[in-house]
Amino acid sequence: MAAQADLDRLWPLKDVAAIVGVGETDYAADYRTARGEATATGSGGGDSYVLAARAFRRALDDAGLEKGDIDGLCVGGPLAHERIAELLGLNPRWSSGGDAPRSVIDAVQAIQAGLCTTVACVYGNAQRSANVQYGGPQAMGGGGILSYVYYAPWGLTSQGALYALMFKRHQLVYGTTEEQLAAIPVALRKHATLNPNAIMRERPMTTEDYLNARYIVEPLRLFDYCLVNDGGVALIVQRADLARERRHEPVLVSGFGWSELSVDATQLRPRIKDFYFPAHHDVVAQVYPMAGVTQDDIDVYATYDSFSVHLLFTLEGFGFCGEGESGAFIQDGRIEVGGELPCNTSGGMLSESYMQSWNQQVELVRQLRGGLGDRQVEGAEVAQYAHDVAGKCMSLIYTKGG
Amino acid sequence: MATQRPPRVMDPYAERFWEFTGQRELRLQRCTECDRFRWPPGPICDSCLSEDYDWSEVSGRGTLLTWVTYRRPYFPEYPAPHTVIMVELDEGPLFVTQPHELETGGLRDGLAMELDWLDGEDQYGEYQLPVFRPAG
Ligand SMILES: [Zn+2]
Repeated sequence: MAAQADLDRLWPLKDVAAIVGVGETDYAADYRTARGEATATGSGGGDSYVLAARAFRRALDDAGLEKGDIDGLCVGGPLAHERIAELLGLNPRWSSGGDAPRSVIDAVQAIQAGLCTTVACVYGNAQRSANVQYGGPQAMGGGGILSYVYYAPWGLTSQGALYALMFKRHQLVYGTTEEQLAAIPVALRKHATLNPNAIMRERPMTTEDYLNARYIVEPLRLFDYCLVNDGGVALIVQRADLARERRHEPVLVSGFGWSELSVDATQLRPRIKDFYFPAHHDVVAQVYPMAGVTQDDIDVYATYDSFSVHLLFTLEGFGFCGEGESGAFIQDGRIEVGGELPCNTSGGMLSESYMQSWNQQVELVRQLRGGLGDRQVEGAEVAQYAHDVAGKCMSLIYTKGG
Repeated sequence: MATQRPPRVMDPYAERFWEFTGQRELRLQRCTECDRFRWPPGPICDSCLSEDYDWSEVSGRGTLLTWVTYRRPYFPEYPAPHTVIMVELDEGPLFVTQPHELETGGLRDGLAMELDWLDGEDQYGEYQLPVFRPAG
């Protein structure tokens, strides 16, 4: 691998494209109606394709675009690429797929290359209706060389256990406490109560509530784990000069970075020995110079939060605080709306919706557009998403266009 | 009858690994070109891409790095609470395993650990499970 990304070549991709449309399904309403029945091919709330299509239609409407304007497609979640394109009636000129940040990064590059102008990124996941298991005998990925599957004879299972092992190591090395960690689920729950579409909007939670909840895999408790629910998300990424014609002020993709740490992944070395910090640092060297900002300029921040502890590791790795200092950093409302660095302001995957970070992108777009009432970060102009999942570390910086 | 445990992930490399455990030998693949140990077992050395290796017996010594205790049961074979630990082997690999003859209150960062064995059985047959106890 080259020592670092070539910033001279990266920099021209700044502000090439914008997110002009966002769409989501009705997480809270659908959560009440999905009761675990397997309806993978049925209609209604339990079908990943229907969820994705519903979000897509809303994103088009949000952007003020017609389906015929779409010439690129990124597909996320369990959707089969050809089938979703068929269902949406799209014959794209370019396509890609994967998780949310990858989809946005790929779309910007394709637009810069002239392959397309307007990319629909669609995700749908009926994981709750399909009763997807994340641990135990029926865990997804069973039989594979995967860290949360391979050590089953010793009793290790579930991705939550990997994060529990990481947090325990963080406690041993840095002295981080469970009482400190409570600040994350409590802040995100508070944000959810300010979000009408958050599944947990009517369930406020105190530090005491968090600490009184049962452990799942100690030292992590129930509310350190994300929700499992059905939903769909769509984002429309468009060439910046065209984006000015849209319904809302465009949100520019001003910076991105990517780095992976996969050597000895099944041994969990990148997690336990490194907390993924080397990958974070490599991304830091790309994303901030590309966007022309520093950590101090970030008005609103979001991180992948399948488990609360992701936030600790990215805050340290991205340099918002020193290594080992995140436990103290997150206290006293600093990560809440109104604080110095509001984090996961929609409630995130812990308390809004487990859309595998697709919903985080929507929230950052909305924060930069403004008008979110009590959960609005006043004067938000620069937003960052940080992702460190299964060895892949990525980040995006969005800025207010106009 | 041996203790029933959740199934092992089997492939030709894992099969060989578990065969050695039947004689209570903890053998990991070591690249014969660059000496790197690898775990879990697999086809190539990730350092030099060589396909040549031997099964080298490790010392069975290491230090405790981290641990978790399951309070929610996931496997019928492992009722809660049960504890899983990670030991850094002296040879380098990080080894997920179980504590043996060690209460959770005795778990300490950097604790010196040594290899021991428990019996096990799954759909592939009987085997010996490498576990770790405080070094004597
Ligand atoms: Zn080698």
